[in-house]
Amino acid sequence: MLAWRSLVGSLALLVPGRCNSISVRGPSQEEAQSIDQELFSTAGFSVDQLMELAGLSCATAVARAFPLDTDTTKGRTVLVVCGPGNNGGDGLVCARHLKLFGYEPTVFYPKRPKKPLFQGLVTQCHTMEISFLDVLPQAEALSRTFSLVVDAIFGFGFSGEVREPFQSILSTICAATIPVASIDVPSGWDVEIGGSSHDLNPDVLISLTAPKRCTRNFHGRLHFLGGRFVPPTLAQNC
Amino acid sequence: MSERRGGGACVCVCARALASSVWCSTLYLTNLAKLVAALISDASKEQIPGQSVDNLALGTENMAGVACTDTATVKYISQEEARAIDQELYDDYGFSQEQLVELMGLACAHAIAKVYPVSSLPRKQRTVLVACGPGKNGACGLVCARHLKMFEFEPSIYYPKRPCRPLCQALTTQCEKLDIPFLSYLPMEVQLINDAYFFVVDAIFGSGFTGQVLEPFVNVINTLQQLRTPIISIDIPSGWPVDNFPVDGLSPTVLVSLGAPKVCSQHFSGKYHFVAGRYLPPDILRKYELNLPDYPNVDCVVSVL
Repeated sequence: MLAWRSLVGSLALLVPGRCNSISVRGPSQEEAQSIDQELFSTAGFSVDQLMELAGLSCATAVARAFPLDTDTTKGRTVLVVCGPGNNGGDGLVCARHLKLFGYEPTVFYPKRPKKPLFQGLVTQCHTMEISFLDVLPQAEALSRTFSLVVDAIFGFGFSGEVREPFQSILSTICAATIPVASIDVPSGWDVEIGGSSHDLNPDVLISLTAPKRCTRNFHGRLHFLGGRFVPPTLAQNC
Repeated sequence: MSERRGGGACVCVCARALASSVWCSTLYLTNLAKLVAALISDASKEQIPGQSVDNLALGTENMAGVACTDTATVKYISQEEARAIDQELYDDYGFSQEQLVELMGLACAHAIAKVYPVSSLPRKQRTVLVACGPGKNGACGLVCARHLKMFEFEPSIYYPKRPCRPLCQALTTQCEKLDIPFLSYLPMEVQLINDAYFFVVDAIFGSGFTGQVLEPFVNVINTLQQLRTPIISIDIPSGWPVDNFPVDGLSPTVLVSLGAPKVCSQHFSGKYHFVAGRYLPPDILRKYELNLPDYPNVDCVVSVL
């Protein structure tokens, strides 16, 4: 059973040590999908709600991991790369809250679903004066312009091969010399097994609801647990 | 021993209330049984609920970094402005009601946790009664109750008038799935509430309040007015006119204004006043000249007292 610590006022819990050293049996991809389904069907949550809480907790974690550096212009700048699914939606929410926290996020969102939820999130970013890039800069330019990258490309639902444009996008992010914070799963990793040395190696990982099995292979600096919305009965099923 | 005799009388009242309640559920019975057991047990309590807030640990480390501001510079908005801001957030800024209610309710829970840090409270002093009205304020109360539960408080909800809207039904389900009890009956005996709950969240009426209080809320507000238990009001103290002086009504200890403080909250004389409005886009802040203080760190509430 996942052990919850109560951190009053905190939305992101720092996971002590590596996940395989504490009493957490990370859910498999299938279990993670099943938990998600239960949250919507039985527990009555809406996607809007959970995405808002998830994105807010990611922004909180990023702010803790990369405290705002107001001395340099670059110190505030964050590139948020959003994929075509819910992980991308989490990234859009995260970008908005980072802006409210005083960061200067820029979003790269090449594949946008035509659903009202995502269109609403994009509108919210636009009205917050968050810029959207048409083209992703090369690794060197990216590293000069931004202080970190938030990887919101693929989450626990990812399987199979990475298709374009995301193959090139991930290559660029890997080649950049600035730290990466991944939302839920480092994009491109096998959700069960993990990533290889050629894959993304984020500095910070923010697992949502529960750390996924692949995160046993996460060797980055900080691992957060975000999105505190799993009812105790559901947590016991993990 | 006087509170034990009082507790005995309360047990009898509880038993009668139990027999006549309409929406009893097994869970409600289980929790009420625990409540009653606590009332008549010999377990010692370090604090007696309902006493002064000063007896409770306030956790100054959680209040560190709270930015206060000169209240003279903060803008107090009218009911009309509050309505206009809400409408703009939906129409022009693309927000959904689910999102905003979630952010507001979460911020209320954060404010409560700032004033009453749960880590400093023994388990028996974490009980919270959340009284929810029929509108948006009540919906915020449901969200707040859920997050309080996540923060390891022990909320119970009184939600006598439930709209048939999908959002409110979903928020109710979410609370039920977290094993938060819903009271079918609010005891009129003030001492029972004082003894059972260490805080009360007033989520009955907010900035949409039209001035007309229908039952059962007349009795509910009358009961809350007599409590010694500290009250935390969401948006406005329920029953206060939004744009005017309150002639009578609740005197909460804590007020959490949603978005921006309302005109009537200039007359708030309680101990803590927070604004929960970090979600507001900069353009809204500029357009309505809200002049709110900076939110500290990543906090979603800021003190204006």
